[in-house]
Amino acid sequence: MADFTAEVFQNEFLPDGGTDVHAIVRVTSSGASATAASAASAGLTDPGSAAEVILIDTSGSMGRRGVQAAGEAAKAALAEIVDGTLFSIVSGNGTAQIVYPYSHQGALVPMSAHTRGEANRAIEGLRANGGTAMGTWLTLARQIFETVPYVTKRHAILLTDGVNEGETPASLQAAVASCVGAFQCDCRGVGDQWRVDEVRGIASALLGTVDLIPAPEEMAAEFEAMMRASMSRGVANSELRVWVPQGAELLFVKQVSPTLEDLTSRRTVVNPLTGAYPTGAWSDESRDYHVAVRLPARTLGQEQLAARVQFSLGGDPVAQALVKAKWSNDDSLTTRIDPAVAAYTGQAELATVIQEGLAAKAAGQDDVATAKLGRAVQLADATGNDEMTTRLKKVVDIDDADTGTVRLKKGASKIDEMSLDTASTKTSRVRR
Amino acid sequence: MTYIPTTGAAHPAPVPDPNPDPATRAPSTSEPATSEPATSAQAPAPSRECPACGTANPAESSFCEACGADLVVAARAATGTPPAAPPSDGTVLASATPLTAPAGEESPLDVGWTGAVPSSAVVPAEDELTCHACGQGRIVDGYCDHCGTPPPNPRDHLVESPTAWVGGVCDIGRRHARNEDAMSLSAAEAPGSRAVLVVCDGVSMATDSHIASLAAAKAARAVLDQPFPRGVGTPDAWAAGAARALTSAVAQANEAVAAAVVEDVPNPPSCTFAAAVVEDDVIVAGNVGDSRVYWLPDAAEEPASQLGRDDSFAQEQMAAGVPRLEAETGPHAHSITRWLGRDAPDNLTPHLTTVTATAGWLMVCSDGLWNYCSEAEALRSLLHDTAARLDDVTPTTVAQALVDFANEQGGRDNITVALARLAGRGSSTTEATASAAPVEGDPTDG
Repeated sequence: MADFTAEVFQNEFLPDGGTDVHAIVRVTSSGASATAASAASAGLTDPGSAAEVILIDTSGSMGRRGVQAAGEAAKAALAEIVDGTLFSIVSGNGTAQIVYPYSHQGALVPMSAHTRGEANRAIEGLRANGGTAMGTWLTLARQIFETVPYVTKRHAILLTDGVNEGETPASLQAAVASCVGAFQCDCRGVGDQWRVDEVRGIASALLGTVDLIPAPEEMAAEFEAMMRASMSRGVANSELRVWVPQGAELLFVKQVSPTLEDLTSRRTVVNPLTGAYPTGAWSDESRDYHVAVRLPARTLGQEQLAARVQFSLGGDPVAQALVKAKWSNDDSLTTRIDPAVAAYTGQAELATVIQEGLAAKAAGQDDVATAKLGRAVQLADATGNDEMTTRLKKVVDIDDADTGTVRLKKGASKIDEMSLDTASTKTSRVRR
Repeated sequence: MTYIPTTGAAHPAPVPDPNPDPATRAPSTSEPATSEPATSAQAPAPSRECPACGTANPAESSFCEACGADLVVAARAATGTPPAAPPSDGTVLASATPLTAPAGEESPLDVGWTGAVPSSAVVPAEDELTCHACGQGRIVDGYCDHCGTPPPNPRDHLVESPTAWVGGVCDIGRRHARNEDAMSLSAAEAPGSRAVLVVCDGVSMATDSHIASLAAAKAARAVLDQPFPRGVGTPDAWAAGAARALTSAVAQANEAVAAAVVEDVPNPPSCTFAAAVVEDDVIVAGNVGDSRVYWLPDAAEEPASQLGRDDSFAQEQMAAGVPRLEAETGPHAHSITRWLGRDAPDNLTPHLTTVTATAGWLMVCSDGLWNYCSEAEALRSLLHDTAARLDDVTPTTVAQALVDFANEQGGRDNITVALARLAGRGSSTTEATASAAPVEGDPTDG
């Protein structure tokens, strides 16, 4: 069985009158992949344990070459699916259809050599045609998963190449909302005709990742990696529970590593003082959460538990970290900012200014874009985030990184901007 | 200070409430408690009673579910004998066998459990779990699950009032995370007849000094509680006996400090020592380190004085001519040159002073107080002013008021003030031979 540990990084000392407590809680799992692997090595995964749906864009814009590449990618993903896992392949354009399994077999079939062969042949028949309405694809995926309510680990891969034009933004939003909690979805955009914020919205709501695939030929490797990652996740139904004392205000709960994800609005009430935040499935990994609590100030020398952060599986707490507050008039204690809190706060700001800068640039507000991206260059430079600096250089010319003086690059490619946008939420892990 | 990441497994242990007062407690809102307090000697066999709070835990428990105390250690210590409630008279207990985890391990006991706290003899388990601050939550992992407040650590604020004429307060102060001061007092009922006041101040650089200081204070008091031998009956013979007793008390305290930590630790615990014994209105005082004994007579014409002197860098500087204020606020003012502990210097003979009391206050205190009022005359004025503002002047209320004073000044260190109110030689049966002025006989002076 998987083991979870939780540790907290914070400076618990608050100055006289101080109210805000920030802490990074690191949750680490071990043995989760082993759980998945042992099930796999037993020959057959228990058909009740996992289900996968692959959603492939077959809109007209994909073209013959695109659809063929997507088909190869789907086959690569199928090769990674462990025998016994339930699976289904959906093609999507203006509407969504199940490509495999065949209608008489139901919505999902267990993976085997036979079904994998049938699925591969079904994929050969895909043709590019029609528009893009991702809401209908997600809705079908949800309906497929609903046929197996006993399956706890449900995962989908969504591939798109274009803007969601076949339906209103509201209907896409409604479809996404109906899928929250029903399954996890990793999203990939191919080429430069899709909108990062639109697809990120889907991935974020469905606890998945978003990334850019520059060319169709690169899809197969990406799908293979995504599916392998999904297969290694042995623990589902997990959530983060955050308790704060009576009278306190929970300012926010964010996942800050491996990617930035604001969880604050996903709170479900456990009891008046405790909220739960879904964290999806886990393999052997470590994730960091930033918790900020506002407390009524107490007198010097007093101590208070500011938050109790628990990681729970199926409602049972398996790991816990305590976030504390101690009021002190010792400046050497209270002025120190925890390095992890500082680093992730900086990375969160970096992500925000990159996204805002690119949005301003797209809207033609060049001065705003220059200011925001200048600040991004400054932050990336100050924190030694070379990867982000390299990506920023493709979009702006840097005059002075220290002061954040930049000029928007003439003729920056759309794909570079998009790759900067998708990479903005990936954080580098703070080491202790 | 370094920050130690906390995991779910290691939480500070709540500790028993020092002053259980059923009248001020909110009724328990919880379901029936998990155990019947104080009756678990009759509890079914497969249970392990917590020696700290009395909760019956499942037999396989390693830690008490109610207060987090280590049950394995306790069970081993008990070696089969049924766990008894701690003695309520406050006699030496547990301090000689310190409950400290091996070095490198965090023990729930580190946080504040330093042996039985006298007044916490038997506290109902359900009260242990109810938050004292909001009265609504229950204590889980050392904090209230409603308002987040930890239960009070009895080690942070100790009050002793053995008789009407002797009392003291030992307080954590405002700045330190732990109370490393300790105090142990005893007194006979008849005013001026016999009292023992011991104060030890743990050295904050060392490991577990809060355990060491309490062990030292209790060990010293156990020695000093024995009446001094009168020899041939002369005052000189008595003084010699008193000096031997104090020297022996320091030696016992030193052993208790050395034994306070089981394993060798890089920073063995250490502490100061200051004690005063009153026997038939004669005071004998002794100290090692920078905790002090003051004699503060009421009569203005009689000088107030510090009995003995500090073993400190500041004292050495003053001896070399540096003014007191400058010496005591200098960069190494709080470095002490002698202390008790495993790495103590060889010569631990206390600075000894004998005084025949008139009407006045005998004070034993730690530097948490005298940091803010060092000079004896100023301290006498402070005490008189403080007492004048009190409706009810007892040694304990005055000590508390002086602790409040130090806290108002900043409370930079732990604060201990122990006081004895003396009426003077009138009631004494022995012949008055010593003068009112202190007579210091200090073997270490060479």
